[in-house]
Amino acid sequence: MVYEKGRRYIIPFDDVPADRAEMPEISVEERKGSFREVETGFPEAVAVAEAKRCLSCRRCLGCALCWAECEPEAIDFSIPDEELELDFDEVIITRGQENSFQPIDSHLGYGTYADVITDLQFERMLSPTGPTDGLVVSPFDGEVPRRIAVIQGNAEGDEDHFLSSLVLGVNESILALDRIEDMKVALVSPICQSFKKKFSPDAEKIPDLDIIEGAPESVERTQEEEPLILTYSQDGKIKKENFDLIVILTKPEISAEISALSQELEQEVL
Amino acid sequence: MENKRVLIIGGGLEGVRTAIEKAEAGAQVTLVEKFPTLGAERIPRDRLIKPDNAFINPDLDKVRNLSDVRILTNSEFTKVTREGGKVHASVLKKSLRVDNSKCNDCKACIKVCPVNMFDDFDEGYTWRTAVDYFNPATGEYNIFKEDMPACQSKCPVHLDIRRYVGQIADGKYLESLATIRERLPLPGSIGRICPHPCETACNRQYLDKSISICFLKRYVADVEINEEVEPVYETPEKKHPEKIAVVGAGPAGLTCAYDLAMMGYGQIKIFEALPVPGGYLWVGIPEYRLPKKLLKREVDLIAKMGVEIQYNARIGKDISFEDLINDYDAVFIGAGCHQGLKLRIPGEDEYKGKGIVDCVTFLREQALGKFPEAGGKLIVIGGGNAAIDSARVGWRMGFDEVYILYRRTKKEMPANPWEIDAAEEEGVIIQYLAAPVEILGENERVTGIRCIKMELGEPDASGRRRPAPIEGSEYVIDAETIIPAISQGTDLSFLGEKHDFELSRRNTFQIDVETGATNVPGVFAGGDVVSGPDIAIRAVAAGKRAALGIDKYLRSK
Repeated sequence: MVYEKGRRYIIPFDDVPADRAEMPEISVEERKGSFREVETGFPEAVAVAEAKRCLSCRRCLGCALCWAECEPEAIDFSIPDEELELDFDEVIITRGQENSFQPIDSHLGYGTYADVITDLQFERMLSPTGPTDGLVVSPFDGEVPRRIAVIQGNAEGDEDHFLSSLVLGVNESILALDRIEDMKVALVSPICQSFKKKFSPDAEKIPDLDIIEGAPESVERTQEEEPLILTYSQDGKIKKENFDLIVILTKPEISAEISALSQELEQEVL
Repeated sequence: MENKRVLIIGGGLEGVRTAIEKAEAGAQVTLVEKFPTLGAERIPRDRLIKPDNAFINPDLDKVRNLSDVRILTNSEFTKVTREGGKVHASVLKKSLRVDNSKCNDCKACIKVCPVNMFDDFDEGYTWRTAVDYFNPATGEYNIFKEDMPACQSKCPVHLDIRRYVGQIADGKYLESLATIRERLPLPGSIGRICPHPCETACNRQYLDKSISICFLKRYVADVEINEEVEPVYETPEKKHPEKIAVVGAGPAGLTCAYDLAMMGYGQIKIFEALPVPGGYLWVGIPEYRLPKKLLKREVDLIAKMGVEIQYNARIGKDISFEDLINDYDAVFIGAGCHQGLKLRIPGEDEYKGKGIVDCVTFLREQALGKFPEAGGKLIVIGGGNAAIDSARVGWRMGFDEVYILYRRTKKEMPANPWEIDAAEEEGVIIQYLAAPVEILGENERVTGIRCIKMELGEPDASGRRRPAPIEGSEYVIDAETIIPAISQGTDLSFLGEKHDFELSRRNTFQIDVETGATNVPGVFAGGDVVSGPDIAIRAVAAGKRAALGIDKYLRSK
């Protein structure tokens, strides 16, 4: 059985413990007045089991299987790295392709439930070249969702952030609704003024898209196999609704590498 | 006039669009992206779409066909500098290992590749093989390989963790230990006390929790002792003739000597001021964390390689530093940071030795069996590992009550969190948000300490919130013994009053970061005496770096 934890899938082998080994210690009573070593070391079986948890990461292993298999001889491990020294009159720093985002408000269930996903993940799911070839499925049970909620992941935010994430949210909804019949999408967000002015009339005309001006409060699943429950506040009232998939609109953050370059060059990121 | 040269960092949506704009305006554009291919097919965030054109972005094809745009993918900056209006960039363009002009997209390589790794481009939704395309829309293949696994690259001495952990999984414990010893001569000691940056990097944490790498190292070191195996470190038969002096038998000095002996240097002598080896590992890390017997054994193994260790030999007192430079072809200084810094509050100097003792002295005296008696209340001031060690040692020695005062909260405390928890478990009382104001005393003895309550304000340069005193919140705690444990500094008095060394403002040596060389030819330095108080494994790394530097220096002479 594959299980999911913190956005990843895990295959629990019998001989690989899922939990990190705890170091055995002598009791506090035994420590008083004594300088005996507190940590007593792993027993052999624990050490071996712990060592088996290692994923042995290193990307390409150099086994050359691909090289042997490649008919057009396109694979060439001797292509060298290049070191370039370049001079410029002007530099423009953009965010690049690393989609970093600010931590999502913790009570929204991201990282806890497999069917709470980010707008970035949803975008990949909707893409024809994505992991599901454009099919919308819930990572929780593999079913096609009937009710999707698109919600803001960060209560704090400026007008620009709300506007761009709302447009993305509506666009993703358009795509999802186009792909699946008999589906409904609810977009829950403290809708900002600039969105209302520019996009509301068009967005409100989209069939099966329900735009709710409200603030997401929490996401939970009270029973296994049951849909997610979204709690949100609207006009000072607390409401609860069931959904099969929840998409969180993230707040982009500049990646560490890009912000280091920005600092080095004393220049803002575009 | 030549065309304007424009560098665009980042090959995403904005980067690609800006590249086209600039090129069309007549500039010579270089577009640099970290990932193996450009990516611009994103759902727009500035306009509403029709379902069929969501992922179509003509920019991507366009930018590739512009002759004035040079695209550098899979590239990173090793250095960027701005001088005047000009920017100079050193770029490392990493090999894709696939000639995409020959590739026919048959995917045979993907079918045979045994590697299964998270697919970054798909936001971790799927797995990919090591040979793959980063962005399937562009279909440019590449073979992804990191220099080292995440753990190894984060380890200051780059231990081959994947190998030695794998050997443990196979039950090959002594082979695993030999793997560790290829780069680290103190596996049992480091395996007990290292704050393990490798585990912080471990990819398993994204599944459940990181591998307990540090304790596995300890495990194999313990196996050797329990099975009573006496290893012999083989050194080359042919010896280099040069004499090398090492100041200090701490982790930096011991490792430097070990590596030099492994390289075939036969005349290495370590001068140690104390009667015991290990430096701070012996006199700073308490017995209950690192048994001396075990440390002694690891040092003895190094000594058996022909490394001479002279104890009770303090440079500047027992032997002059000048003699050292004259008598030896190269000198490594690994003298550490063995001076406790002062609180700088009233009463501190008055009661020094009369109830006030700094943490370095306290831990050292205790480790050497010289600290007289324990009793009454002990107060330790500070939040680092030395503060926790002092408190836990004090508790074991028999002080009736042990307090730690720290001016921030537990979250900001620099000590290892598991050490803080252990101290609290043992009954050490930690008062957070409290700072000392004055040491109080009577009849030539400390009687207590006046403290003030603090609150956290705005973050400072270190990112931690700056504590500020709350006016009128002063209070007094009675105490018989007070241990300032706020930080440690170097003691460079062994250099004499006149010397030519370049020192930092913190009174540490300035060195060449590649070789560990100081500005004085033939003299190298590393460890805490360069970095200020830091973790042991980084001192080990500094010892290794200096050994290579010394070898290079001596061989080119």
